[in-house]
Amino acid sequence: MPTTPVVELENLKVKLGRREILHGITCRLGVSGTGKAVGLLGPNGAGKSTLILALLGFHRPSAGRARILGMDCRRSMGEARSRIGYMPENDSFVGEMTAVTFLRQMAELSGLPPKAALEKAHEVLFHVGLGESRYRELRTYSYGMKQMAKLAQAIVHGPELVVLDEPTNGLDPAARRRMLKLVADMKEEQGMNVIVCSHLLRDIEQVCDEAVIMKDGAIVHQCNLEEERRSNRSFVELEVTGDDRNLLTALPEIGAEGVAEGGGRWRIVLPPGVEVEAIWGLAARQNLLVRKLTHRRDTLEEIFLKAMGHLAHTPGEDSPVDAGRT
Amino acid sequence: MAVYKRAYRRYDGPLTGRWTRFMVLPRYAWRRLYQQRLVLLLTMAAFVWPLLCAGFVYLTNHVELLQGLDPEFRAFIQVNGRFFSIFMYVQGACAVFLAALAGPGLVAPDLANNALPLYFSRPLTRWSYALARLTVIVGMLSVVTWVPGLLLFGLQVGLAGGWWFLANWTLGVAVVAGFLLWLLVLGLVAMASSAYVKWRVVAGAVSLAFFFILTGVSQMINGVFRVTWGYVLDPAWAVNRVWRALLGLDPLDGPGALSSIVALAVFVLLLVLVIERKLRPVEVVR
Repeated sequence: MPTTPVVELENLKVKLGRREILHGITCRLGVSGTGKAVGLLGPNGAGKSTLILALLGFHRPSAGRARILGMDCRRSMGEARSRIGYMPENDSFVGEMTAVTFLRQMAELSGLPPKAALEKAHEVLFHVGLGESRYRELRTYSYGMKQMAKLAQAIVHGPELVVLDEPTNGLDPAARRRMLKLVADMKEEQGMNVIVCSHLLRDIEQVCDEAVIMKDGAIVHQCNLEEERRSNRSFVELEVTGDDRNLLTALPEIGAEGVAEGGGRWRIVLPPGVEVEAIWGLAARQNLLVRKLTHRRDTLEEIFLKAMGHLAHTPGEDSPVDAGRT
Repeated sequence: MAVYKRAYRRYDGPLTGRWTRFMVLPRYAWRRLYQQRLVLLLTMAAFVWPLLCAGFVYLTNHVELLQGLDPEFRAFIQVNGRFFSIFMYVQGACAVFLAALAGPGLVAPDLANNALPLYFSRPLTRWSYALARLTVIVGMLSVVTWVPGLLLFGLQVGLAGGWWFLANWTLGVAVVAGFLLWLLVLGLVAMASSAYVKWRVVAGAVSLAFFFILTGVSQMINGVFRVTWGYVLDPAWAVNRVWRALLGLDPLDGPGALSSIVALAVFVLLLVLVIERKLRPVEVVR
């Protein structure tokens, strides 16, 4: 059965003024109607927001083609937009409106009949936790509340695809958790496809099933986080004192592998089922004094650092990933 | 079920048509505009003159009430092109003040709060957004301009009979067409000032000053160069010239109706370009 990618880019180039921001990106992201989330990662200035704005038709591609939900971003943008919800990075609202009126207007603009728009506006405001303050003017909202209101307007019309640009920016830890939970609910409970643009690895790792890493206007890495999670590998950063020359050959004893970074520092990948206590035992057998041991299951940071060129080789990989630009 | 007890579910019902969606922005904007007391008061005040004119139309059609008046004066007070031109001058001036009061609230809040990306990420193009905003101001000003003008025309036809309509139907067309031209200019000026000045009061002042400054400039050019073509730089004068031509009144000294129409077309085009440059979902900083 043929599947429609959420986003399909063919040699997409975008110029702002004379400067080329996106340098011929080609990729297919997500599958339409599957309720999965794709994370767009990259440092500031990598071109994430430009890519999103090009997908929304705000920037005209200078070359190549972009399709969103199977529709061409140049020719069928009107139809595509009725199936998309967008949460911009910066403050965006109509200050003199109450949250309910604002959301109702946005829902009606997306094509909902007035009565249904009003119902959905109330429903979604309770859903994002703004139920009690839904009759307050948006300009009186705190920053966190405005973020939630932005998310609410993005989903009020029940879009197939929601594009979130830095959704957790400026949120306190509790609000951040709530926002990520809402994003997870959107894909799991509502079956919406989500594109999350962020420079925060943890956010992407927490809610996304697929990650795309961008750098200097190009995609430098694309990975399936679900598979990464399934592999359930965990990483250990180890710093020891003593003669650690035999550690590399000893690691396979516990099924682990790793790389020495010099000065007694190691990065080790533990296979599924092996707990960190095994490292302590191994160090003891090798007569090594453990100065520092950091254990985490965060694989994305390794992948990200590798893609950014900050790490020569991702521990646990058989061969270096081809990080060539697509 | 109470709304707070309902869990959020994606909407999957029927969608409205293109024109219904287009009218969403005007509907909400009108609701907001008429919640402002000053706008409401000025709109109500703008009905005083049409009511007086309606009384005048009634009197001119009831000769028995004018028996005591001088025959020359009775011949002077007639419902004709001159009557409608005076009606249009007063209502046109009211429209300028209403546009200055209500116009800045059209685009400025959306720009100040960066709301354009939210609008343009929906099935709404930049042109339809601009047209919707123009509809707001034209619709609002129509209530005090061509609509009462047409009602007066209808009243006169009703009182004077079909022969008057056959002889003067062009006056009705002139009232509607003349006012629509003026509203287009006013709406575009209000939108342009609203798009460039984010503070409402200043934007209102700019749209008022715009007409006064251009009138001054055109007078200055005429005075310095001893010409009359400077009037084409004054949109108010150009519109007045077109109105007079439409109502069949004696032309003013200066450029003809065609020159005025061309000048107004250029003026409208420039305003559209100015608005087009500003109404973008994202601003690219060079």
